Amino acid sequence: MIEIQDLTVRAGAREILRDISVSIPRGKWTCLVGPNGAGKTTLLKALLGMNAYSGTIKDNGVEVFKDSKRNVAFVPQSPQIPSGMSVAEYVMLGRSKRDGWGKESTKSRALVSEILRQTQLFGMQSQLVIQLSGGEMQRALIARALAQEPELILLDEPTSALDLHHQIAVLNNIEMLKDRGVTIISTMHDITLAAMYAENIVVMRDGRVSLSGPVSEVIHSPELKDAFDNRISVYTLDSGRPVIVAAKDSSSEREIPQKEV
Amino acid sequence: MAVALLLGVGLLGVSFGPIHLHFDQIVKTLVGAPGGLKGQDRTLLLDLRLPRVILAALVGGALATSGAVYQTVFRNPLADPYLLGVAAGAGLGATLAFTTTGGNVYGLLPIFSFVGGILAVLTSFFISGKFFAEPNTLLLSGIAVGSFATAIQTYLQQRHSDALRPVYSWILGELTAANWRVVGWSSIYILSSIAILISISKQLDGLMLSDEEAYSLGINPHRLRIIAVVAATLATATAVSASGLIGFVGIVVPHLVRGLTRRVTNRSLATIAFAGAAFLVLADLGARTLLSPAELPIGVITAFVGAPFFLFVLRNRRMVR
Repeated sequence: MIEIQDLTVRAGAREILRDISVSIPRGKWTCLVGPNGAGKTTLLKALLGMNAYSGTIKDNGVEVFKDSKRNVAFVPQSPQIPSGMSVAEYVMLGRSKRDGWGKESTKSRALVSEILRQTQLFGMQSQLVIQLSGGEMQRALIARALAQEPELILLDEPTSALDLHHQIAVLNNIEMLKDRGVTIISTMHDITLAAMYAENIVVMRDGRVSLSGPVSEVIHSPELKDAFDNRISVYTLDSGRPVIVAAKDSSSEREIPQKEV
Repeated sequence: MAVALLLGVGLLGVSFGPIHLHFDQIVKTLVGAPGGLKGQDRTLLLDLRLPRVILAALVGGALATSGAVYQTVFRNPLADPYLLGVAAGAGLGATLAFTTTGGNVYGLLPIFSFVGGILAVLTSFFISGKFFAEPNTLLLSGIAVGSFATAIQTYLQQRHSDALRPVYSWILGELTAANWRVVGWSSIYILSSIAILISISKQLDGLMLSDEEAYSLGINPHRLRIIAVVAATLATATAVSASGLIGFVGIVVPHLVRGLTRRVTNRSLATIAFAGAAFLVLADLGARTLLSPAELPIGVITAFVGAPFFLFVLRNRRMVR
């Protein structure tokens, strides 16, 4: 479990996160959802343990900023793209914490080629990362995170700015991590996709957590709608899968029989 | 290869000048074998040309390495080592040395410009507030401090028009004051700074990513940025106080090496250091011999090469990627 107690994060005088207390299960995929400005990214970064916070964030019982051995991968929404670096070198950076910076073990090289294959980047390994398209860059980021063999991966909007086809490809790549027992925490603006892949949802609003729990419980809750000012509608498909769309009025939940394509 | 290049141009550098010295005699003199240079020629080699070539190599190595590191730290391919106000601060220090001491300025000039350069960078750090939390803020405060120092410098020059000429020639860069004493103190700062930068060069890859990514890969980005910028600034300030403002080396050399090696800039820092050293020794040779016996300011030569190089980079954008 990752236990967060009375977490407050400030930027200057402003409190971005206020007295958050929530537990996030390990080995599962947890999605942080909420409107823009709710503090999702800030919570994600706090879980990394790099920036100052008050309160406690304990991962396996250890305060996150004190644990230098913790192997956490971070996939930002808009990465800094290094100039002059090839795709293979970029993915290899994920091995730095294990091998030491600038060193490449034989095991790492084999692992990286395997990952490049899994993420459909194998033909592009000597291309410069700066020349990659949005979808390819996102895959390169995921590939680097895979190379890290992390215990926890934090992803900030991993599917934003991708078309549907690439969204699914990236989410499937992330799901591979879950199958290996990695804890996944991501923010996602598309709640339908979040409900499709994640097992747990944390609903945020105005720097607070309004609800958290398994997808099935959270998705039909009034708190989720409230977080979005009742401007969303939740439909349930025949398969039982929820679909969340924007609503003009504050209409309540409806059951409309539909066939899934 | 870069080492061989440096030794080669070094030999050219000590050989050519208003008086030509033969290669075999130079080598014999340097290794202490019989048949070496004697009398005035020996003095010319050991006390004038050799310290000058070594100083050019040190300054070139310092500027090229610092330039490459600044480009990585500030994630800007056109960053140069004078960014954080070192140049303007050192310029102000030099102007003060010329205007306040009048006579023998050369004893004080390096100290004044070194202190001026370091003070300017410290002021930039101070103004930018959070130490290195945001590299762009530091960059902007460097520009502000630089403009401020330049304004004072211009004012002082207006008031003391007699200082105009020596300050101007110093701004264009000069290695004429080279002697073993200057080589001695500048080599301590420059070589140790370069050694520090090369030792952290692998981790500098991490600074090309966002801070969160770097942190997740096991790097403390704030601390690494401080070490990198302090070492690069120390090398630059030393180079400036020993030889004035020599432009373009810090931009041209890292990009040239990168274009040739096709590697990420900070992964070839040692090559960049040697290439920078060779470049400046060659530029100094040009400065001494093109209009011999008159001497061109070395900054004219480096800018002469540097400006067309920018056009080349613009036409060949792959190199800045």
